[in-house]
Amino acid sequence: MAQYVLMLLEDEDWVQKQTKEEKERAYAGINKWWEDLNRQGIVKGGEELQPKHTATTVRRQNGTMNVTEGPFIESKEHVGGFLMVDVPDLDAAIAIAKSWPGGDVEVRPIVVH
Amino acid sequence: MAKFAFLFIDDGVDYQGAPTPEQQKVYADIFKWFETNGDKITDGGAELQPTRTATTIRKRSGKAAVLDGPFIEAKESVGGFSVFELPSKDAAVALAKTWPGYGIEIRPVGDHMEAQ
Repeated sequence: MAQYVLMLLEDEDWVQKQTKEEKERAYAGINKWWEDLNRQGIVKGGEELQPKHTATTVRRQNGTMNVTEGPFIESKEHVGGFLMVDVPDLDAAIAIAKSWPGGDVEVRPIVVH
Repeated sequence: MAKFAFLFIDDGVDYQGAPTPEQQKVYADIFKWFETNGDKITDGGAELQPTRTATTIRKRSGKAAVLDGPFIEAKESVGGFSVFELPSKDAAVALAKTWPGYGIEIRPVGDHMEAQ
């Protein structure tokens, strides 16, 4: 078995275009997907992040830690949540990413210490 | 108390490759930092392999496309994450400032996706 992190990506343009009804339907789909995964026992952790305007970034610059408002990268797309799964291989992680009812997903193996 | 996700920012140092002695010291300091602050962690999260190991699944065309590489090519990327329970955003910023590595994006977390 191997552990992968699925970064659930959020596209702000897409989110803004959704009607209230569409958003509710999306959330219902996400909740069901999440319950199914939990039932299978392959989820090792996960978090939904608050929208990117709530982000604060701390960065080392010239030896001191500088605090700035906003996410570390300014782009249309950002990380909206995480999910850690324990699955046989990358293909299995990709299959879960494909089944995610939300948007795009970045899959990354984790470092095992 | 509130939960904050710390997104550890990877500035391109390959700790899994051939780090310099200086980078190895930072990595050792990072381990110590996790030991010191372990009691505040609610979800240990993970350290991610470098972006060259990333796969991105794109769904825009209606059919899922599987692509090699991270969702965005940039100097900085997400290198890992952990979730901390802290009294306030100020406490989160103060803790992030003690991080021995390069940087952290702090984000409050929602309650929907608690692992059960």
